[in-house]
Amino acid sequence: MFDDTRRRLGTLARPDDRLTIEDGHECPSYVHARATRTRREFVREACCGFGGLALASLLHEEQLRAAITNPLAAKHPHVEAKAKSIVFLFMAGGPSHVETYDPKPLLNKLNGQRRPKEFGEAKYQFVHTDARLLGTKRTFRKYGESGIEVSDLFPHTATCIDDIAVLRSCYGDSVVHSAAQYELFSGRVVPGFPSMGSWLLYGLGAESRSLPSYVVMPDPKGALEAGQPMYAHGFLPAVYQPTMFRPGDHPVLNLDLPKHVTPQQRRRTLEFLRSLNESSLDPADEEFHARINAYDVAFRMQTEAPEVFDLSREPQETLDLYGIGSEPTNDYGRRCLFARKLVENGVRFVCVVSGGGPGNMQWDAHGDIEENHLRKAAETDKPVAALLKDLKRRGLLDTTLVLWGGEFGRSPDAQSPTGGRDHHNLGFSMWMAGGGIRGGQAVGATDAIGLKAVEKPYHFRDIHTTILHQLGLDQHQLTYPHLGRDERLTFLEGQVIREIV
Amino acid sequence: MLDSFFHDACCRCGFGVVAVVCLVMSSTSAHADDADGLRFFREKIEPVLKAQCYSCHSRQAEELKGSLRLDFKAGVLRGGDSGPAVVAGKSDESLLIQAIRHEGGMAMPPKKERKLSDKTIADFVKWVEMGAPDPRDREPTEAEDSKFDEARRHWAFQPLRRRADGRQPSDDLRGSKDVRGLTPAGSPEIIREADKRTLIRRVTFDLIGLPPTPEEVEAFVGDESPEAYEKVVDRLLGSRHFGEKAAQQWLDVVRFAETEGYEYDRHIPDAWRYRDYVIDSFNKDKPFDRFLTEQLAGDEIEPENRECLTASIFHRLGPVRRNAGNTDIALSRNEVLTERTDILGAAILGLTVGCARCHNHKLEPITQKDYYRLQAYLAATEEHNLVLASADERQMWEAETKKVKDEIARVQKLIKDATTAAEKDRLAQQIEDLEDKLPAPLPTIPSTHNDFAKRTAIHVLKRGVWENKGEPVQPRPLSVLVADDLPELSPGETQPRMQLAKWLTSPNHPLTARVIVNRVWQQHFGTGLVKTANDFGLKGEKPSDPELLDWLAASLIENGWRLKPLHRLMVLSANYRSGEGRVGSGEKNTADGRLSSDSPLPTPHSQLQRRLSAEEIRDSMLAVSGRLNPKAGGPSVIVPVDPDLVGLLYKPSQWAITSDVSEHDRRSIYLIAKRNLRLPFFENLDAPALQTSCARRESSTHPPQALELLNGTLANDLAQAFAKRLERDCGSDREKIIDRAFRLALGRAPTANELQRSSEFLREQPLGEFALALFNLNEFLYVR
Repeated sequence: MFDDTRRRLGTLARPDDRLTIEDGHECPSYVHARATRTRREFVREACCGFGGLALASLLHEEQLRAAITNPLAAKHPHVEAKAKSIVFLFMAGGPSHVETYDPKPLLNKLNGQRRPKEFGEAKYQFVHTDARLLGTKRTFRKYGESGIEVSDLFPHTATCIDDIAVLRSCYGDSVVHSAAQYELFSGRVVPGFPSMGSWLLYGLGAESRSLPSYVVMPDPKGALEAGQPMYAHGFLPAVYQPTMFRPGDHPVLNLDLPKHVTPQQRRRTLEFLRSLNESSLDPADEEFHARINAYDVAFRMQTEAPEVFDLSREPQETLDLYGIGSEPTNDYGRRCLFARKLVENGVRFVCVVSGGGPGNMQWDAHGDIEENHLRKAAETDKPVAALLKDLKRRGLLDTTLVLWGGEFGRSPDAQSPTGGRDHHNLGFSMWMAGGGIRGGQAVGATDAIGLKAVEKPYHFRDIHTTILHQLGLDQHQLTYPHLGRDERLTFLEGQVIREIV
Repeated sequence: MLDSFFHDACCRCGFGVVAVVCLVMSSTSAHADDADGLRFFREKIEPVLKAQCYSCHSRQAEELKGSLRLDFKAGVLRGGDSGPAVVAGKSDESLLIQAIRHEGGMAMPPKKERKLSDKTIADFVKWVEMGAPDPRDREPTEAEDSKFDEARRHWAFQPLRRRADGRQPSDDLRGSKDVRGLTPAGSPEIIREADKRTLIRRVTFDLIGLPPTPEEVEAFVGDESPEAYEKVVDRLLGSRHFGEKAAQQWLDVVRFAETEGYEYDRHIPDAWRYRDYVIDSFNKDKPFDRFLTEQLAGDEIEPENRECLTASIFHRLGPVRRNAGNTDIALSRNEVLTERTDILGAAILGLTVGCARCHNHKLEPITQKDYYRLQAYLAATEEHNLVLASADERQMWEAETKKVKDEIARVQKLIKDATTAAEKDRLAQQIEDLEDKLPAPLPTIPSTHNDFAKRTAIHVLKRGVWENKGEPVQPRPLSVLVADDLPELSPGETQPRMQLAKWLTSPNHPLTARVIVNRVWQQHFGTGLVKTANDFGLKGEKPSDPELLDWLAASLIENGWRLKPLHRLMVLSANYRSGEGRVGSGEKNTADGRLSSDSPLPTPHSQLQRRLSAEEIRDSMLAVSGRLNPKAGGPSVIVPVDPDLVGLLYKPSQWAITSDVSEHDRRSIYLIAKRNLRLPFFENLDAPALQTSCARRESSTHPPQALELLNGTLANDLAQAFAKRLERDCGSDREKIIDRAFRLALGRAPTANELQRSSEFLREQPLGEFALALFNLNEFLYVR
């Protein structure tokens, strides 16, 4: 019942929903109410928003108020949405495309030779101009009905290939980690701009009232180059910030009571607080109502969220599917299962990071691509496939868009005698599945050695535009004023990747 | 293609899409005299050229296409790469006509859907046949550009309107109600004044960022003299805490942080000195023109003066990307200069100059050339870490450093020879550990100086890309604000930044004083007279009361750029003291249209009440619980934080917790401002991201805030301290405890109802929970 009510409340926040109030002035229903508005006016206006006073009796007044005073209230998208949630499987450090989803037989033939001039130039961080090309030791095989080639690094994910749209022609603007990571998340190569998760929350609000709606699960092995600002809300209000999950069974900061306090005690404290607040409450004051509402939701989060974080009630079959309880999949498996449980409970954006700490603990295989990628793939392949299968069998894949990829790919040129590859932003692979994405196809292409995206090149901004599109948001309409400009996620206009939607 | 990107995507200014001007055939004969011909040109031809051709073929063009200029007569006749555009009298031989007809392999405007109408084409044919009469004899200067000319009339670029009658601001305040918006106290129209308890709480928070003590409140309530309020104001303006409060806004604006951001987030040695400099300057009431000059050019004007050198840390405050591997020195330099230029616009000029880095500003009369001329003032500015140590100290430090560095070099060699990845990782870890053993840096001023030998040659960079060098430029102020014939600064100028400061602080500068006066207004009234405090340009909001803004700006200059009298004037005004909350410049502001029309966020009703900032809430909890360590100045404090957050740092050892725990209770402004690790408490309560200039704090309300204030370590720790203090002050007398708690936290006694509820609560619940509830009260978190 509650869920249903909330969804209907969401309709209040539709920006184009205009309602007429007493004095004949039109105002968009989502606009913050006048300071002088009374509590009763509030309810009446709110109800008019979706069909008349009759409904008022059906709904609890406080819930109505919450929908208006809560900036996280669910909002209607600009157009009909195909997806509701995003899971971003972030392969930090930059997985190699030529070892994973973009087979290049010619690269193996040219192994050890200089890069032929006709392929053009590339700027690298470490690779010298006289570097030699490096073939791959991986083997590729066709999978599924679509027959898309996937390397032997991902035998599990490969079985889901018919749900996956591989983008073989991605590119970005920066060849260094921090700037590329900022661009991947926020569309800008500099920090300080909101990440896509914050933008989505701003545009759509939250579906869940008891869980944070934008969650990042970092790799417990350590930090990434771009640091926390990469995930952050930039200049958007703090309400759109990411919640960084911590490892272990208590992932959300401040969700647990301090040790010296019992839940009964705290409940009493909250009741006391509420009574004091209400005794001095000006009925016209919505901000205070909003604050009281925030405490109600916080209390609900405290009691309801831990259930979601409790994996012990999951059937053994599910735990096995994700590789939980066995190495090397335990950690990433747990986090992928969290991701499923979160989207199942209405969380909008979940980022599950693979890679953290020193470069080689990420996909940043400068020294030895074999050692690094075999290890990283073994940690993630089974959990990733499990997530796709689990979402699918629960009917969640239709409304959950899963994005896989890193901030760039890796160079076709060898960086070290031990067979490492440098960063590479001119052409690399990412993939999407679910959320209305048409799987079982590979789109775009790099040249014959995987140096540059040559066929249908897609920039990060196109990935962003496509994600927004699937969630029913228009890149031009989703704006926020900052320093004299209406900023948006796509700094330059992006295009929807039509082949896959 | 990119052009349209920039037009439509980057700025969405709308200039890129201009409707075709509808033209009606005129009856002018082909053998018209000169005057008719020129009129025909003005009416029929020029509007089309402007609307359809200038974006690629004029001085305004971001990138001139085909070397063709159509914005003056000689340009048209000379033509471009393909030859003359017009042969007077011969339309069939004129390339321009072919092009607009989309004939002969040419098509202008290039897109099919933008092809000119047949009528318009006929006009052009007729015009050429007439002999192509064209009054535009000279190549236009920037100022003659019509858009530019119009923009020049923008309110913010006009000189300040000073009072003709020579009255002093103080006359106005005490005497008649002469100035709209700022009503002098005691005038007949006065609206009901706030009660004394509300008033002292309001003014104490606004001027020093802390709550008044119960003793201060009672003293004020008991003081029935007419000057009682004035005395409070003067006490606060003289308080050491005044600067601590005023500085925070300036630090937000200049995006002050003590680390460089990006992956390494290196700590800038002793960057806290800048924070102390700002606090001291506000406390001393340093004239604002001097304050700006020291920051812009401190090292030029007094290279031996530590205060001036400290001020110049200003140029070091932006994020800096330090890269591993092949560094592109020119690119890095370009990034640094960009950061340093853009902040001048946002912080001082109140203009979004940064937009002109890649192209002429689409919304403001700022050309790309203007942007690079502004940047040219900084061309020779380089980092200069001035070490404050004796020769001996320095020697010892260097020896110690060398020892560790040699060891690092040795391990680095081992890494090169290492064969397995595991071995490499182990050695890399060893290097990190060694780096942590490097001796702490010597006391330093991370200042700047000019190094003319290394001066960066500044060019207009096409699309802002450093490799695309266009015309070279020298320093010069923004064209829209100076005379057309003002020459560029000579490359031989030895104090370029001083020249910049001189221009910015000239009494005739229309922006500098307006911008700072507006910031002070915002501090006291929640919203500025110009709501977009960092943007006074065409796209920014218009002032709600331009006369008042100018009057305030002019009085600032007349009073020798001193800010304290301005603060005093504002908080003494009847508007500020109103019982309806701070009445900014009128009700015009209360609808606060800008944000709410763009976003579904409720906007704060800042005039009625404001939520305390993150720093004020923390400082208040410290003050109320009796734990506040009032020490001023010195190195920044690093407080304990969730270890998992520290683990997210690239180099967790950077978070070296200050060992003296009494330091952890210092005011928030003394806590480290680290770009890659902000305290969750601050983050949740809308402290800025430290990456870009923050003109005004957001004030959002959401569940994680409630969780932070209910379950967070800080809130619970200080609630316990508050409880202990209450026991210390009042023993076990419950009623006394409740009374004292309300007076400390809210500046008033509890009502009978509150007393009763509190007593009931305390009968069963611990005092710590009672204290925590008070910290979470709306009345504690907001100031009316």
